[in-house]
Amino acid sequence: MPTISIFKSDLESLLGAPGEPRTVSIDELQEWLTLVKGEVKGYQADSGELRVELQDSNRPDLWCCEGIARQIRIKFGGTARPYPFLSKQPGRPPQLLVAPGLDRVRPYVAACAATGYRVTEQGLAQLIQTQEKLADIFGHKRKTVSIGIYRLQKIRFPVTYELANPDDARFTPLGMETPMTLSEILMVHPKGLEYGSILAGQSRLPLLRDAEHRPLSFPPIINSREIGEVLVGDDELFIEVTGTDAAMVVLTLNIFAANLADRGAAIQPIAVRYPYETPFGKRVVTPRDIGRPRPIQIETIERALGQELGATVVKEALETYGYHVSTGKQSVTVKLPPYRQDLMHAMDVVEDVAMSLGYGAFSPEMPSQFTVGGLSRIEQLSDRARELMVGLGFQEIISNILGSPDHYRDAMRLEGTEWGKMVEVRNVMSSSFSCLRQWMIPSLLRVEAASARSFYPHRLFEAGEVAIFDSAHEVGSRTETVLGAVIAHAAAHFSEIHSCLDACLYYLGKTYGLEPIPHPSFLDGRVGTIVVSGTPIGLIGEIHPEVLERWQIAMPVVAFEVNLSRLEQVV
Amino acid sequence: MDTTSSCDNLHPLEIAVLGVFGAHPAGAALTTDQLAEATKLESSQLSMAIEWLLAKQLLAITSETVTPVVSLTAVGKSYIERSSPLDRVLSAAREASSTGKRLTIADLQTKEGLEPSDVSKAVGRLKKEGALLVVQGGCLESTGRPSPSVEAMRALLCDLDEAPRPLESFPEVQRALIHDYAVKRGSAREPFRIEERTTRSYTLSQAGAAAVTALAGQAKAEEVAQLSPDLLKDGSWRTKRFRKYTISLRPPRIAAGKKHPYREFLDAVKLKLVSMGFQEMRGSLVETEFWNMDALFMPQFHPARDIHDVYFVKEPARASAVAEPFFSRVAATHEHGGTTGSTGWGYRFDPERAKRLVLRSQGTAVSARTLALSPSVPGKYFSIARCFRYDQVDATHATDFFQVEGIVLGEDINFRTLLGLLNLFAREVAQAKEVKFVPAYFPFTEPSVELHVRHPRLGWMELGGAGLFRPEVTQPLGVTVPVIAWGLGLDRMAMVALGVHDIRELFTDNLDLIRTTRGAF
Repeated sequence: MPTISIFKSDLESLLGAPGEPRTVSIDELQEWLTLVKGEVKGYQADSGELRVELQDSNRPDLWCCEGIARQIRIKFGGTARPYPFLSKQPGRPPQLLVAPGLDRVRPYVAACAATGYRVTEQGLAQLIQTQEKLADIFGHKRKTVSIGIYRLQKIRFPVTYELANPDDARFTPLGMETPMTLSEILMVHPKGLEYGSILAGQSRLPLLRDAEHRPLSFPPIINSREIGEVLVGDDELFIEVTGTDAAMVVLTLNIFAANLADRGAAIQPIAVRYPYETPFGKRVVTPRDIGRPRPIQIETIERALGQELGATVVKEALETYGYHVSTGKQSVTVKLPPYRQDLMHAMDVVEDVAMSLGYGAFSPEMPSQFTVGGLSRIEQLSDRARELMVGLGFQEIISNILGSPDHYRDAMRLEGTEWGKMVEVRNVMSSSFSCLRQWMIPSLLRVEAASARSFYPHRLFEAGEVAIFDSAHEVGSRTETVLGAVIAHAAAHFSEIHSCLDACLYYLGKTYGLEPIPHPSFLDGRVGTIVVSGTPIGLIGEIHPEVLERWQIAMPVVAFEVNLSRLEQVV
Repeated sequence: MDTTSSCDNLHPLEIAVLGVFGAHPAGAALTTDQLAEATKLESSQLSMAIEWLLAKQLLAITSETVTPVVSLTAVGKSYIERSSPLDRVLSAAREASSTGKRLTIADLQTKEGLEPSDVSKAVGRLKKEGALLVVQGGCLESTGRPSPSVEAMRALLCDLDEAPRPLESFPEVQRALIHDYAVKRGSAREPFRIEERTTRSYTLSQAGAAAVTALAGQAKAEEVAQLSPDLLKDGSWRTKRFRKYTISLRPPRIAAGKKHPYREFLDAVKLKLVSMGFQEMRGSLVETEFWNMDALFMPQFHPARDIHDVYFVKEPARASAVAEPFFSRVAATHEHGGTTGSTGWGYRFDPERAKRLVLRSQGTAVSARTLALSPSVPGKYFSIARCFRYDQVDATHATDFFQVEGIVLGEDINFRTLLGLLNLFAREVAQAKEVKFVPAYFPFTEPSVELHVRHPRLGWMELGGAGLFRPEVTQPLGVTVPVIAWGLGLDRMAMVALGVHDIRELFTDNLDLIRTTRGAF
């Protein structure tokens, strides 16, 4: 999903022990990245910048240099580094007080402080990138989760998370020179304009302030410039996460805490006090270990992977992938590290076992059970019709199904008619791709209109799917397979296309009749419905000169169209 | 030179000319006129044939004589109808004398409509011959004496009306008159033209003589261009000779009836899959979000479900209902895992959203439908499904495209048999002997794997993605055995096979391109 930018030297220092970077070649790195479902998309040797794409949308902890390094480091170091901030610390942690009413606006908050890590240029770039990627992709453009990072020494505890009057509360936001009220920020500030819709309809707005009433930020919109602008060289940080999903808020904070701890910071937990109930209670100390032990049968893992492994191998594989594991006789009990929350089913653990062992550790084996292959009836009929059309001298065409009402309906003179009904797209990107074709002949006229220089005669056909509007159907339309054919040359004539239809239906074993009808796309008196056993299955005729004019085709065209799905059903 | 072959390639006009030489004694020299008379050819055809034969060195020029030839000009031809000015001046003078009228030079111009220059020239000549007198007052009188010029002029007009004649064939008097009345510089309006005609005579070269001999051998048979039913019916083809063609020329173009090269490629894939025991599935171009995404355990808040990735249907916007029991089971699985042993995504499933209609965005929707229709166990299924993505169109992104996807169900399905199946695809579909399995992420499979293969021509490429369907996908749809979900990315192979560099060209409207693309699979 996300593509991130990291620096090779930064990655190397995170891969090694503190002060001892572990150098890595790009080829080596590409190998290791399979552990995180990542791929190197670009490398600039002079700046050392790597562009890495991460696939797993359930592993936001991997969308940063620290997370990638951690997963690889655990694999090669054999064990995960402990995170002491998860265990109970002596003394009372600083407090973050939540005011009443936020449960109806943006209920959850988590925070911590990080000291002793001096922010480097590359470290700051990572911090900002992680903040953006998590809020944007994992946090649904800040709706579910947003993150603020501040200079700790400017903050007096307890910090309060409260609702403020939009016209009273004011501070100088990042990117501005003068104080603004919250209303003004929403109306003027670029971030206010971009994310303001998250707070639409709220009369009072979230505000984080410290014990001296200095605003930290207006979540999830913008930080205060005074307290919320982190610079290279800062070594005391305060991090908060607000959002609408308690678990996602805590997970996001855990990821930041782990990342900063990996860079050498000491993490100081914060106690959040709510006036309302949350999934974690009214007093929540964050970061918080939200993993739950989960027993899994060894046999479940072995059966899914098709290989006997035993408890020891499974335990080692999971431990070197960051899990906490204890073994029983026939089962393991696993717990995810604090920066992960993607264990929904035992199968998630199965994949991690396979990734940790490497897919190369599993030898491929052919499925052994016998099955009979075959084509659907409609595909068989379609293939037979295509063979016949080729034998009749027609060139096969293959077209887009998504097209424009101009082509499928208006140019065919079908506006307002039953034949002009079609499946149209609501979120149109380009009018050229805004509806599904309801018949085939326009697809062939499309080629005809573009190919006046190709030598004549033109004999074209296409067999393919169309969507026929049908409000009675489950999905409002029927997908049917039709065969369309056109002939174009100076003397193209009804009887010529009629002969082709006649031959085609003869060999398909269908007796048919033609019944004259009026149809706006064809010349009156030279068009008919093709009827088999009393069921209309298609059309044949000479294309109306006005249709040709609209397509800018300067050559007579005759055509037929047979609905193969319907033909297949008539006896 | 090979006489036989040169003889075979002779044009009928050339054969006609050579034939005349054949009728004369060997070494005879024949003039253009003689050849014209003997062949009865138009002069342009004859000169063409002679040019060709000279170029082929079958004829040689023996002599060249230049003869002055007299012919009538347009003016001369008009004199046949109206008589010459000389004649008309004399007649007018005689008439005036016999009636006693006065005739002036001005009268000749006004009444006879003669040009002043013609009048003065005629009067001068007739006066000199003594046939005319100019009397006082500028009046003309006939002397009654004959004019030799008038007689000679009449005779010449009469003679030359039929055909031009050599100047030498006329007597001295007439020759003088011709010279006086011939077109020269400064006097264009004259009745006679003297031209120099070159008469050539030709003999056969040695090769020409050989060709004549060769032709004589064939001469008995008449040459025909085309075998006809009549010739076959009466057997007369036996006495005919068929002109040989120059077969090295390019033939006229015809348009073959043939399959579209991209379709042929997909047909080949289809055949491969059927031969490996896969049964075809079909689905609908329009799907509910339920079958397109919910049934595949993609949470409704999943980023890929945003308005920017899928086309929504305008009318009707929603399906009236989604079939039970799948609807409730899938909803429960999303919310808390249902009976699958999963925690679920832990959010409130929106049933209205599940009913929203979209253009099918992934072939896996077809697989989901199949899972709900009590598929065979063991079973293998595939579909080549048209899918639609809400994406900017460019050389690598098409707005609609084919996805080749499928499922494999069975008690023996596990991660290793998944890899085994992918090995088979690598070998059968891409003719690849080397493969790499790379961990991957798909929302509906766990474990997931990407198949990379070394294609014999394209090198290392990603051929497809696969995985074991999550139990959250299979169990709510009533399937209790493990299921492989696989998909193949064949567009790059197709583009290389068809020699196109832009994915949109797979659906091109350029008939010339479609007609000329061979496709190499």
